[in-house]
Amino acid sequence: MALFAFFQTILLLVSLSLRTCQSEVLSEPLPLTPESLEVSINSAQQCLHLQWRVHSLAYHQELKMVFQIEISRINTSNVIRVDYYSTTVKWNQVLQWSWESELPLECATHFVRIRSRVDDARVSEPRFWSNWSSWKEVNEQNSLGHKASSVFPVDKLVEEGSNVTICYISRSHQNNVSCYLDGVRMHVEQLDPNVSAFHVNNVAFVRETGTNIFCEMDPKDDAGTVLFVSKVLEAPKDFSCETQDFKTLHCTWDPGSDTSLVRKQPYQSYTLFESFSGEKRLCEHKNWCDWQIAQDSQEMYNFTLVAENYLRKRSVNILFNLTHRVRPMTPKVFFKNISATNATMTWRVHSTGNHPTLLCQIELHGEGKVIQQHNASIKVNGEYLLSELEPDTQYMARVHCGDANHFWKWSEWSGENFTTLEAAPSEAPDVWRDVKSELGNRTVTLFWKPLSKSHANGKIRFYNVIVENLDKPSELEPVPIPAPANHTKLALDQCSYRIHVTANNSVGTSPASVIVISGDPGNQVEEERVNVTADGFSLSWKPQSGDVTGYVVEWCDRPQDGSCDLQWENLGPNTTSTVISSDAFRPGVRYNFRIYGISTKRIAYLLEQKTGYSQELAPLVNPQVVMSNLTSHSFTLSWKEYPTETQRSFIRGYHVYLKPKEGQCHPGFEKAALSDNSLCCKYKIDKPEQKTFVVENLQPESIYEFFVTPFTSVGEGPLDAFTKVTTPDEHSHLLIRIILPTVFCVVLIMIVCYLNSQWMKEKCYPDIPDPYKSSVLSLIKSKENPHLTIMSVKDCIPDAIEVINKPEGSKIQFSGTRNSLTETEITKPAYLYLLPAEKNYSGPGPCICFENFTYNQAASNSGSCGHVPVPPTAPSQRGLLTSLENLLKALEKNYMNSQGEIPAGETTLNYVSQLASPMSGDKDSLPTDPPVPALCSEYKMQMAIPLGLASPPLSENSSVSSVTLLDQGDHHH
Amino acid sequence: MRAQLTQRMLLSLVLGLLFLSTAAMGSCSANYQGLLQQLQSQADLLQDTSLLLDPYIRLQGLDTSELRKLCKERPGAFPSQDALWELSRWDLLRTLNATLGQALHRLTALQQDFPKARDWLTVTMNIRGFQNNIHCLSQLLRASSETAKPTQASPGASPPPIPASDAFQHKLEGCQFLSGFHRLMGSAGQVFREWGKTPRRSRRHSPRHLALRKGPRGVQLFRRGRRLVPRGQLPR
Repeated sequence: MALFAFFQTILLLVSLSLRTCQSEVLSEPLPLTPESLEVSINSAQQCLHLQWRVHSLAYHQELKMVFQIEISRINTSNVIRVDYYSTTVKWNQVLQWSWESELPLECATHFVRIRSRVDDARVSEPRFWSNWSSWKEVNEQNSLGHKASSVFPVDKLVEEGSNVTICYISRSHQNNVSCYLDGVRMHVEQLDPNVSAFHVNNVAFVRETGTNIFCEMDPKDDAGTVLFVSKVLEAPKDFSCETQDFKTLHCTWDPGSDTSLVRKQPYQSYTLFESFSGEKRLCEHKNWCDWQIAQDSQEMYNFTLVAENYLRKRSVNILFNLTHRVRPMTPKVFFKNISATNATMTWRVHSTGNHPTLLCQIELHGEGKVIQQHNASIKVNGEYLLSELEPDTQYMARVHCGDANHFWKWSEWSGENFTTLEAAPSEAPDVWRDVKSELGNRTVTLFWKPLSKSHANGKIRFYNVIVENLDKPSELEPVPIPAPANHTKLALDQCSYRIHVTANNSVGTSPASVIVISGDPGNQVEEERVNVTADGFSLSWKPQSGDVTGYVVEWCDRPQDGSCDLQWENLGPNTTSTVISSDAFRPGVRYNFRIYGISTKRIAYLLEQKTGYSQELAPLVNPQVVMSNLTSHSFTLSWKEYPTETQRSFIRGYHVYLKPKEGQCHPGFEKAALSDNSLCCKYKIDKPEQKTFVVENLQPESIYEFFVTPFTSVGEGPLDAFTKVTTPDEHSHLLIRIILPTVFCVVLIMIVCYLNSQWMKEKCYPDIPDPYKSSVLSLIKSKENPHLTIMSVKDCIPDAIEVINKPEGSKIQFSGTRNSLTETEITKPAYLYLLPAEKNYSGPGPCICFENFTYNQAASNSGSCGHVPVPPTAPSQRGLLTSLENLLKALEKNYMNSQGEIPAGETTLNYVSQLASPMSGDKDSLPTDPPVPALCSEYKMQMAIPLGLASPPLSENSSVSSVTLLDQGDHHH
Repeated sequence: MRAQLTQRMLLSLVLGLLFLSTAAMGSCSANYQGLLQQLQSQADLLQDTSLLLDPYIRLQGLDTSELRKLCKERPGAFPSQDALWELSRWDLLRTLNATLGQALHRLTALQQDFPKARDWLTVTMNIRGFQNNIHCLSQLLRASSETAKPTQASPGASPPPIPASDAFQHKLEGCQFLSGFHRLMGSAGQVFREWGKTPRRSRRHSPRHLALRKGPRGVQLFRRGRRLVPRGQLPR
């Protein structure tokens, strides 16, 4: 402790002695005050530049001084910065100092003052500060110009990540200022009544056209500016230079980010500087530049690449020996001696300098992959034999080289395609057959698979098929089948045949594939179901002892559409199982697989047959059920047409659904719920081959509903509509057996009776002919005698009508103005007499008698033609009578002649003749005299009277006949 | 939307090339209605703001509610629609031609503000095509009874603004210019559409002018720049 106090005292004494020595050099302090202070502004950089002098210095005097600078903002008392600046001051030297303001200088008035102090060792103590200079005011607020407001800084360029202060200046006092940076409102701080400002830290690059800043306030006053934010300039990456010809150095680099800004900053520039030569070159491109190699064989190069934009510079440097930066030129490649399996590749590298040894890499590409790689050392020319190539195959071989002594980079790859020549096919085609027998002939379809490329060794042009009859040796004729056919059909008889198939290309023939079609139709085997795994159909079979050379499994890829698309797989003799899979397999399709053994004689014989689904699906359709044998207690259902083989899964049986009657199921049925949750009675048929079912124990006269659906391992068929059936009455079949024959008999009898009555009617009661339809009319008209017409009964004016021998009398009432007839008793025989109308008639007159077998009922009851006595004809009527006679004769003749002209229907009438008497002149005089028997003519009178008129109702006692006077106005037909 | 743009570009390119080739060959169509139809089509195409204004606003970052409202056309930058209606056909064609010439210069200056602009070629070709059609239509009118009259250079249009000193103003002026340009083309299209409906001999094409032509012969019942008849009144 004492020692420490001793050293401290010594140190103090030494220090005091040193101070004393200094004061001896400059004994008096100097009044060195900064003068002529000038302050200027750089708005773009927001810098204050200060300039001043120290006038008090002597000529050639240099003095180390410290300047204290104070900066105030808005007012002098608001000092925002105090800085010290130390420098050696010379006589009459203008001193400068700059300060970058965070706040744009336009935003506020700044004040600056300065003072100094000698800080030179030669100046003795005390060192005191000079007086402050006067405040210098820096006011840029008049930069508003004619504008009412502005936002500062204007178009400032900053780097991404910078901090920026923005201010908004207005002439008027600010109120409610809103500022937005790219649409985002910023928090604004009011610096004074006319200035507001906000800070943005870590500004981000938004777009090349700059970030928009906009301020507005009430009353409406707005202004804006653009802040250009540049991406940070990166140092160039991967800078390197190389030469291929010793004339030019090609330098490349990765420029990194683009720092250009629209209308503000161009793309960054790149400059190459080589220090040994001192040369410099401004690069025109973004990422590469060429440098001309000097002729003086400069070996070493020291390059500096400088990237520059308005904000910063970045540089990288490389130093290298030129001979170590040689990249050989791209080789030129040729091929020669190309065969099926070999090719010779040659290449040449353009000489660079003194023919250095080159290391070359050769690559052989096949099907897009590198299949061979080789190295070779060459001088200028290279050659390499490419072997183990495949015939008829396209390859691509390429080569690149590098300097073997000072490897820098590989040259560009240079490659060419070439194709090897064809060779004869190396393997026999894979052949299979499909045999179909029909009417003693067989159609054999031979299928073969195209040879793989590695076996075809070229383009297969055709296939040769040779059919050899094993039973009848004959000349063998090859049948060429042009490629790309993959099958052919042969029509063979029942003999055994050996078939040879070869594939041929332009070079040669493949080994033959032999298959024997035996005359033996082969055995039938039972079909089994096949197991299905996730990988496919798993087939296995019993191994065959003896001469089996292999197995073939065949199947159809598309059995569902009938095209089959036969597929087969060859398996070795020791194989007894395989898994068959195919992209063509579809769910719900049944596939059949046949496994054949191939004998040493190349005969295929069927070993096993298997069937299965890659995935079973529920049936899509239900059977069409036919109902038969309906009785009052049972009916039969059958669906024999339902094919089970083409369903989407194995049919395991059928469900017969019967809707229960009164909630009870029949024996054998069980209750089951359908998919629609309705209850049903279900009967399960376990045998898929059973396709009939008898529903028994039914109630007569009841309605039953049934429905049949198949069921499989994956479910049953769709729920279809139920079919209704009504059981008949128990006795209905008896009734049917009796009533039907009875009804049949009655109908038969009625038909017979009807036919018989028709016959009877025709025979006994023919229809009365219509005189107006008689041909007599036409005859009369042909005589052109208008007075002649058919005699109508009404035209006959009998004097008296006497009905004789009429068992029942009739009373006929005549109306009119004529004299009424008195009722007269008429007795048998029933003859109708026509009495003369004129009183003066005397002597026998013509008697007209009509005979009519189809008389009306009243008339026909007489049973014979009425004998009508005709009074003597009056002289005045003589002519008429004569003409009548003539007419009668003509009628007879005409009648006889016109038989054939009368329509058939009319000829059935037994019509004899008819006569019309035109006695129109004496109608008024009615006969009053009693009838007088007169001489009858050969004609009988026909008289047709409708039943209603002719037979008025008679009294029970009216058995007498009546004599009736016929009125002229009454027409009776 | 992209397909529509592509179709529109193709159509406008074809139209532009067609008109350019017509002008290059020095032959104008004598089909008055055909020329009017072409001018209408081109005006319709150029009035579409999606061609220039919308991409400009997007690229300049003016697509905010505060800045978008500053993109309105500067009054007087282009002839107003009323001013166009007031002009004779001859004057209108001259005015349009002169205005489009200036617009083309301005658009060329604005091109660097359109980094990677796709429709630029389409627009400039269509403007040139439009001018060529105006030239042809003027020749057609000259050949007809309508005589050339001394006209004002650009009625209702003020001289182009002094180039902006700062980038923000430059952006706004570009935006306002494009807004006015599209509006002008829309107005021109309407005028040409009206021309297609009215007889060729009518000197004043405005519907309201046509309505006033029934006054005493030789008496001009209207004055330029004065609205006399409500808009929408159709001729005859």
